[in-house]
Amino acid sequence: MELVTDNLTFKPENEYFLNQVSLEFQAGKLYTILGRTLSGKTSLLKTIAGLQPIDSGSITFEGKDFGSIQVWKRNVAMVYQQFINYPHLNVFDNIAFPLKQRKIKPPELVNKVSSAIRKVGLDGFEKRKIHELSGGQQQRVALARSLVKKAKILLLDEPLVNLDYKLREDLRDEFKNIFSSDFSTNSILIYSSTDPLEAMQLNGDIIVIDEGRILQSGIAKDVFENPSNIRVSEVTNDPAMNIFNGTIESNKIFLNENIRFDVPVHLKAIQAGSYHFGIRASDMFLDTKGFDFNVEIAEISGSETYLHLNQDELNVVLLLEEVKNFNDQDNIKINFNLKKLYVFDEKGDLLFSPFNMN
Amino acid sequence: MKSIYFTLKYFAITLWSMFVIAPFLWALSTSFKDFNSVTGGATYIPWLQFEPSLEGWKVLVRSPAKGGVDIIEPYFNSIFVTCTASLISIMLGTLAAYALSRFTFKAGIIKNNDITFFFISQRIMPPIVLSIPFFLMLGFLGLLDSLFGLILVYIVLLMPIAVWIMVDFFNKVPKEIDETALIDGCNPYQAFIKVVIPNSIPGLIVAVLFCIIFGWIDFFFAFILTFTEVQLLPVKIVALNSSVTPWWSLSASALVSVAPLVVVAFIVERYLSKGNLSGALK
Amino acid sequence: MAKIEFKNVGHSYDQTAKHPVYALKPFSLSWEDGGRYALLGPSGCGKTTMLNIISGLITPSEGNVFFNDQNITSVKTEQRNIAQVFQFPVIYNTMSVYDNLAFPLKCRKFSESHIRKKVNEVAEILNLSSVIDSGAKRLTADQKQLISLGRGLVREDVAAVLMDEPLTVIDPDLKFKLRRKLKEINSKYKTTLIYVTHDQNEAMTFAEKIIVMDSGQIVQRGSSKELFERPSTTFVAYFIGSPAMNIFNCSIANNELILGKFKLKIDKNPDQITSNDLKVGIRSEFIDLSDKPKENSIHVKIKSNEDFGNYKLLTCEFDNLEIKVKIKREQNVTSETTYLILSKNRLCLYEKEKLIN
Repeated sequence: MELVTDNLTFKPENEYFLNQVSLEFQAGKLYTILGRTLSGKTSLLKTIAGLQPIDSGSITFEGKDFGSIQVWKRNVAMVYQQFINYPHLNVFDNIAFPLKQRKIKPPELVNKVSSAIRKVGLDGFEKRKIHELSGGQQQRVALARSLVKKAKILLLDEPLVNLDYKLREDLRDEFKNIFSSDFSTNSILIYSSTDPLEAMQLNGDIIVIDEGRILQSGIAKDVFENPSNIRVSEVTNDPAMNIFNGTIESNKIFLNENIRFDVPVHLKAIQAGSYHFGIRASDMFLDTKGFDFNVEIAEISGSETYLHLNQDELNVVLLLEEVKNFNDQDNIKINFNLKKLYVFDEKGDLLFSPFNMN
Repeated sequence: MKSIYFTLKYFAITLWSMFVIAPFLWALSTSFKDFNSVTGGATYIPWLQFEPSLEGWKVLVRSPAKGGVDIIEPYFNSIFVTCTASLISIMLGTLAAYALSRFTFKAGIIKNNDITFFFISQRIMPPIVLSIPFFLMLGFLGLLDSLFGLILVYIVLLMPIAVWIMVDFFNKVPKEIDETALIDGCNPYQAFIKVVIPNSIPGLIVAVLFCIIFGWIDFFFAFILTFTEVQLLPVKIVALNSSVTPWWSLSASALVSVAPLVVVAFIVERYLSKGNLSGALK
Repeated sequence: MAKIEFKNVGHSYDQTAKHPVYALKPFSLSWEDGGRYALLGPSGCGKTTMLNIISGLITPSEGNVFFNDQNITSVKTEQRNIAQVFQFPVIYNTMSVYDNLAFPLKCRKFSESHIRKKVNEVAEILNLSSVIDSGAKRLTADQKQLISLGRGLVREDVAAVLMDEPLTVIDPDLKFKLRRKLKEINSKYKTTLIYVTHDQNEAMTFAEKIIVMDSGQIVQRGSSKELFERPSTTFVAYFIGSPAMNIFNCSIANNELILGKFKLKIDKNPDQITSNDLKVGIRSEFIDLSDKPKENSIHVKIKSNEDFGNYKLLTCEFDNLEIKVKIKREQNVTSETTYLILSKNRLCLYEKEKLIN
């Protein structure tokens, strides 16, 4: 009951869409593929569905070679980020489509479709045409169509990214409930996203992909707490982790002439030298005894304020868990929660993490 | 202010309608005239200005032995050739257009767009250029002066139109819709029939319309590639002309030949405005 | 530049009807000179109607519009000195960047030297100096949008620059740059900027004052902090902030607020309250946890504990009601129940969906 990809590589032009992707997916688990736009998320999902060719590598599912099975005979379902439905059919017929394709007849057909419609909260919309629905409703139809056939592999390609922020927030909760209540233990669910918050909330395994290559995979919490290199730390944090080039000399950390501090306890073992230091935007705070910074711009996202700050050449982003007004060029004092400091080596690989590494 | 605009608008529309309809009305009144009424100066209203006669219409159905020109057979020949050629062109053209819209072809520097252009370039050439090759080819195959030969030639002429129109419409149907159909268990042919075609109906209607019109009005190839066995309507109508131009029967036959297109136009117009599916696709 | 004032302005598209259906219900509002405003609301809330009334594309069916105390209600768009930036950049592809920026001045027959000075100055501010002589066609989307904006800025007489979802077609990475630029321009030129958007985050980041609209009505004006902390209707409470504000039906008895089986103290005078349609709201950011009962605390069962990375979100339950609480990621919650402190100055009380002040 598992899906294995072995060294999948696809390089149509000069750029890698997939670069030696080797992964294992267990039935009954949820996987989030996390990566920036064009990092290869969609390519990977389409390859699993059988919609995209590969140059080399193989996919096996339940011990059988998947590559030789045509798309329409694979037991997969997929939801796209564009709201893809059949415009010529109404909501009911859209959701019934995969079942009719499998020659399922009423009353079983009607029962299954009705229960899927209820699950995604579209009761009363059965007779509507697709273009009479809002974006959120269209995406619910797509989800219902993918759930109704109980596929062994369910692929969701950034299903919420094209929705308004408030709707995204509502649907994220709803989708998560559907996954946990409806999801059988013998299917694999693969969800792709650019949003680390979404990946954390889904709370399955995270697979970090960048330029077609898998950078890290593991339990969400582990990947978040111990990013294996700087690139992972950027992708798994929103805003991206602040990275400073600094040095350690005689038990002090220097970020620039003004900012220096004692080496915190968890880094005691570190040698003198130059390193990349990383700290999350949420691990810095306003502090009247702290370092001087200028506000470049204060951005508000949901209930959070992202403060983009600078001091000479040093740029940092600080995250406040509330909405606050700042004027541009305001002078403020901030400090660092040193207990949460990461250290990466010159190549960008993780050396020390504030969390236990295992 | 608004009422002036309103009046002006309707005045302009009325003027234009008259301009368009006038030739038809004139043809209609002429078809009921005889030699004397036509040559005796311009008259328009039957019974008041001239005595109506059915002679112009009767000539069209009278056998040649009795001095008439029987257009009934050429009429059905034309309908048969146009419909068959259009149907085959649409079927082949739609498949070709789908392939051009969905798959990437590459042969040296030739890509999808070049192939599409190659199709339509058949229509850019003046027909006279094609006439001799077609004549020789049909002669070689023994298909000159036959309905089958004409249908083959018309397919060559009509299919590019179908391809050209349908490529554009298929490009507007997102590729992800076909992919979803595949994932939902359709093989590529089922995906095409069940999902892509129903979402391209307006395009299909436009393509059918154009094929029928271009097939129906062709005179040139019908004239060159047929002699005595098989005749199409446009050729037969021209054959009406003799030393004394029979304006009455020419008018009658013109009306008869326009009639099918008018019927098609009415049916299609209703379809296009009712099944406005193109708006459903973003 | 001018102060813009709306006096009892309302608009109905069907003016002949006996009981007009308002696209915009009558209201009064003044826009300070040099202010940075956002008109925020879901689609169909009337924000575009409002924008069109300012620009003069629509003459309001009621009330008057003043620019600097001059009634311009029926003055045409082209005579209003309003610059507009649309969703899609409007540029003249065949012209150079310079000519694009100079176009509004050339149309108004300014002297060559004045045009040159003004255009170069604006190009400088917009970081377009390096491309000023190249054709406008090959620029990136954000540069094109800057040109659309620049055409408004070269004119000294513009009363306001109106922007209708100007960042829709801009790349997410560039949005940040452009937003910063807009703020910079506002502080440098003191031009009134009015920004229409349905995106809460964009409005809150951009504007000094946000005007929230819903179904043809202004429901709140204020800074992003005010909108967040004291949303004036339950709609704003839901619309602003993520997660939305926790809101519950409640009642008042003996100067205390009754929320299910709990009694809470409030700092409102209950005499203000006249109806039974009462709701109470509190932001999940403003709720504290406690192991033992304290003043204004409620006892809840913890249903789920989600780790978002930057924070944790607890979903708790009491009396079949759900309440969400944002806590620090470091805070460990192991027990099955907990006390939540709903301090009285953080509670927002709503009567008929409107905040009681």
